Amino acid sequence: MTLHPAVLALLVASLLTGGMVLYAGWYGARILLQWEIGSGSERQLELERRTYLISTLLSVAFVLQILSLFLYVFTADRLHGMFSGAMCAAGTLNVNGFGYPVLLLKIVTFLLAGLWLVVNHADTRGYDYPLIKPKYALLLVLGPLVLVEGYLQYRYFAGLHPDVITSCCGSLFGQGQKGIGGDLAALPAGPMEGAFYGGMAATIACGLRFRRTGRGGYLFSAASTTTFVVAVGSILSFICLYIYELPTHHCPFCILQKEYGYVGYVLYIALFGGGVAGMGVGVLMPFRGRASMARVVPALQHRLVAATLVLYLLFTLVVSYRMLFSSFRMTAGPTP
Amino acid sequence: MIALHDVTKSFHPGKENQFTAVRNVGLTIAPGRLTVLKGPSGSGKTTLLTLIGCMARPTSGRIVLSGGGIAGFPGGEEIRELEITSLPERFLAGIRRATFGFIFQHFNLLRGISVLENVMLPAYPTGERHGEIRRRAAELLTVFDVARHAHARVDRLSGGEAQRVAIARALINRPSVIVADEPTAHLDTDLSRGFMEIVGSFKSDGKTVLIASHDPIVCDSSRVDTVVEMRDGRILRSGSTP
Amino acid sequence: MNRFVERHRSILDFALSSLLRRKGKNISLWVVYTLIVFLIAAIVFYTHALKREAAMILQGAPDIVVQKMVAGRQDLVPVGYVGKIAAIRGVGAVRPRLWGYYYDAVTGANYTLMAPDGSLPGPGTADIGSGVARTLRVVEGDFLPIRAVDGVPTLFQVRKVLPYASELATSDLILLSEDDLRALFAFPRGFATDLAVTVENPAERATVAAKIAAQFPESRPILNSEILRTYDSIFDWRGGMMVVMLGVAVFSFVIFAWDKATGLSAEERREIGILKSVGWETGDVLLLKFWEGAAISLAAFLCGVILAYVQVFFFSASLFEPALKGWAVLYPRFKLVPDVDPYQLAVLFFLTVVPYTVATIIPSWRAATVDPDAAMRS
Repeated sequence: MTLHPAVLALLVASLLTGGMVLYAGWYGARILLQWEIGSGSERQLELERRTYLISTLLSVAFVLQILSLFLYVFTADRLHGMFSGAMCAAGTLNVNGFGYPVLLLKIVTFLLAGLWLVVNHADTRGYDYPLIKPKYALLLVLGPLVLVEGYLQYRYFAGLHPDVITSCCGSLFGQGQKGIGGDLAALPAGPMEGAFYGGMAATIACGLRFRRTGRGGYLFSAASTTTFVVAVGSILSFICLYIYELPTHHCPFCILQKEYGYVGYVLYIALFGGGVAGMGVGVLMPFRGRASMARVVPALQHRLVAATLVLYLLFTLVVSYRMLFSSFRMTAGPTP
Repeated sequence: MIALHDVTKSFHPGKENQFTAVRNVGLTIAPGRLTVLKGPSGSGKTTLLTLIGCMARPTSGRIVLSGGGIAGFPGGEEIRELEITSLPERFLAGIRRATFGFIFQHFNLLRGISVLENVMLPAYPTGERHGEIRRRAAELLTVFDVARHAHARVDRLSGGEAQRVAIARALINRPSVIVADEPTAHLDTDLSRGFMEIVGSFKSDGKTVLIASHDPIVCDSSRVDTVVEMRDGRILRSGSTP
Repeated sequence: MNRFVERHRSILDFALSSLLRRKGKNISLWVVYTLIVFLIAAIVFYTHALKREAAMILQGAPDIVVQKMVAGRQDLVPVGYVGKIAAIRGVGAVRPRLWGYYYDAVTGANYTLMAPDGSLPGPGTADIGSGVARTLRVVEGDFLPIRAVDGVPTLFQVRKVLPYASELATSDLILLSEDDLRALFAFPRGFATDLAVTVENPAERATVAAKIAAQFPESRPILNSEILRTYDSIFDWRGGMMVVMLGVAVFSFVIFAWDKATGLSAEERREIGILKSVGWETGDVLLLKFWEGAAISLAAFLCGVILAYVQVFFFSASLFEPALKGWAVLYPRFKLVPDVDPYQLAVLFFLTVVPYTVATIIPSWRAATVDPDAAMRS
């Protein structure tokens, strides 16, 4: 296993996150079983005190999880030099069977963690802890995912052995291995462009309608989530091509590099942030009716919708700018 | 108006040192009046004050706030009546900050910071502009004639000055109820009488005042509207002074 | 939004004054924290800078080096290979290189002797690297004795000391004419130490190396990229080893921080009790503790990073050199190029600030959940 300090940092982070989540889960289970909001008993008071600790632990754990997603991708990128044939993060992640599953799990836990933070925010604003049960139920789903991801991440890094010179063989690693980075599966560009812009327009329209009339929350959330998925596919399918100005380079990680102005960060942060906010609106919808949430949830949803619209708009503008001013042009015609 | 219905507060239930401070207390605090809780130490006066002042939750029973709007509670302006018995701490603290001003027996001022900062402290979590808080604090210090000590350390104040700073601090969030626990315990006669005059000014401002004391200067003052006698956590009798 | 900002601002204000009120405890915490950040930052910066240096040096190295192996060990390469290798498609040029190691018993140092292309240095003279000049204490014009294989020392006059700027690549180098070198080592004509092969197109290099290996099964072609990868690996590994060893230090620091956070003095307890009784709720006190931690973390992180930067780039990491550069008698002296990027700082953050923050969560919570009525009853 490579002992690069960044790898150690990621392992330490996942250990700490796992520990905090386990602790929170243990007390969360107790809260689910023993919670009685109306009681003034010492046990209830103690449980209420403990919710502060659990909220804090989980907020820190989830912020850490979100940061470690970026650190993971960046580390994979930095390590690509160690493996012959790896051009960027995509190559590094391909070295053993754990690289991509860990990335996928990190993305999923990122989204769920963001959702948990949204629900927690709403719950603390309610005068009778209305969302406490759904919140800890979500934790029971999210907790194991975090632990599994931590373990798989360890297996991934433990299985990374840099291709170094051995005493007898020289350059024979490179033989027979094609460039891994560039050949990721991609959907046809034309239809994707349509789907992308269509999805963005639909999301914006639904969002504005929701803000004005307060109706269509589920519709907005569905639109924004679909657009999120379409946008991720679009990055692979055509957005990258305009940024790299090459018809075959589909790698979604290279746009994070300095050569491309770190534009990848802007795109991913905007897209993921908007995605979580949009999903948050949908997750909060079932709780609009509760008495204590009557003022809290609509106000929160308004802010989430605004966040989604702003971030998605930013994403679209950056993408469109790159498409307009790129020297790359896609023409219709037979594919070579 | 603050109404308590059959309120009990026990500490360490089920353990060796179980202790019931307040037993089945039913009480109504009328707005704009001066109510005195009278009784020996250990009678539960202080615990009752913490229950009324939204500092603690009763083990059983109900506490209801009513009147024209509840300050410090989201949407409280439109609420006529609110039961606060099982509110989470965050909401209880919000109501307490906006509605109640506390004056403690030992003043409870922070030693390492200036007098002005001490007065500003309760307003920090409200999110008001820092400059605005400072201005109001300076004004209060002037009203209570301790403005010259604004930047002094608290240790240098005399007993009377310290108490006036404590009173100024109690008023920083413009509360409608003032709660004082044995306010004259460390004051001489003159200062005690001075305190009662300040209480009189509270009354004329329309504030509700609640004092726990067994000092005759307080209990026998002509300004007192209601006296509630307590012993062993129960109310013996309560009545308006003639 | 405004309320949000003002609340944070007011509480941050109080947090800073709180820290100053307990100088002794907070300064000792800050000093230890800074030390930890400094140690790890120095290692991270140094490893990264060394890798960059290696990469820059290797830019000038040949694309492929071909060695001949006999029984798994390196042997002399016949110059006859040159023509056949040059004929492989994609190969630009093939140049035989003549060089070897020379162990000087007097100083205990290993030098590299090499015959460069061209006519300089002339017979009987030598160009030496600055490390050699330092170790043997010779300057231009002095005479340098070198023993041949038969044990007889030959004197060479030092024509030139190679410039300091090329220190990293030339420090232990002694350049001689080809005839002198062959005489010293009894190098037979028609053989060289290895062959330097140039391949213009990077994508072809691996293919060319494979073809060389196929044509000459006893040869070992080594790609430049593989050397770089190996160096990267070594530096990373060494850096990582040191970080792991420092893990003990970080762990101790975490326990120390936890202890400081848990050990509230009576005065601190009283203060929090008063805060809760005048209207602060648990969340506000937690925010206070968070800002205190953030202030100390920021101060320690900045100081530690700046100190490490100065140590590594101005004092050449004198504290860590031995562990990170390896053991030898002759070291090149060089100043590392300062290069710190946000990624390194992020790694540092994860290794120092994050453990500290996590360690202080539970103590902060314990402090913040004091009952508000405790102040009344004290």
